[in-house]
Amino acid sequence: MITSIAHSTIYVLNQDEALDFYKNKLGFEVGDDMKVEGDFRWLTVYPKSNSQLQLVLAEPKEGPMFTKDSAEKIRSLIEEGAFGAGVFETENCQKTYEELVAKGVEFIQPPTEQLYGVEAMGLDNSGNWFSLVQR
Amino acid sequence: MATNYKFKRLNAGRDYIADNYQTPLSLSDIAKCSNMSPYHFLRVFKDTYGETPNEFLIRLRVEQAKKMLITENFSVSEICEKVGYTSLGSFSSLFLKQVGLAPTLYRRKLWALSNEAYRFPSQAIPACYAYYFLGKLAK
Repeated sequence: MITSIAHSTIYVLNQDEALDFYKNKLGFEVGDDMKVEGDFRWLTVYPKSNSQLQLVLAEPKEGPMFTKDSAEKIRSLIEEGAFGAGVFETENCQKTYEELVAKGVEFIQPPTEQLYGVEAMGLDNSGNWFSLVQR
Repeated sequence: MATNYKFKRLNAGRDYIADNYQTPLSLSDIAKCSNMSPYHFLRVFKDTYGETPNEFLIRLRVEQAKKMLITENFSVSEICEKVGYTSLGSFSSLFLKQVGLAPTLYRRKLWALSNEAYRFPSQAIPACYAYYFLGKLAK
């Protein structure tokens, strides 16, 4: 039986800039920030109240899984907003939305009543969309 | 679960721990940052984050020690001090309890696995990621 999800990947354009966004704008904590052989940087963040699910902030680079062309295509798709970082939950969507807007986070939809709660939609500083949901 | 306001106050205490983990910290000093009594802070912190302030502090210190053991050339005693412990014995036994290996053995084992100096070996991250990003399959 699978009991939980431990890691999920978000492709970002620049790990330093993404770290700044997820840590200083969204208020996440850094899980791992390690230099691994091959000059790979293993960088994870998580929301303070849930360290069990770590988001891996990874740059698409030429390597074993991507050709140079594929990496460039993925970077271009990230910039176009073709990927999502997922759904982040909050206890008060309106308040969190206002706090994030004050910090300069870009939103494409303000808090709106949905069937499942109140939801706003924002963008990280790579172009990945995310939802902010109050259930 | 804490309300939005209480969560912010709690986060102030949690951030205080994260910013000062390398120095001796008392529960009353941490709780002051959150404008709560130590007992109340302890209870709400555990309810909200699933770990006590002390467990969080230990986790931060051990994680930082693991990183320094691999990526720096400091002695174990130096690392012990840099992450906020004054007793090498306490640090070593705590590290052993959390990681399953004594600090020196942890360093020796991971350095032996890595192909590059002062870098974590690919075995330190989930194998699917090592395969995906580094093209390495676990042996």
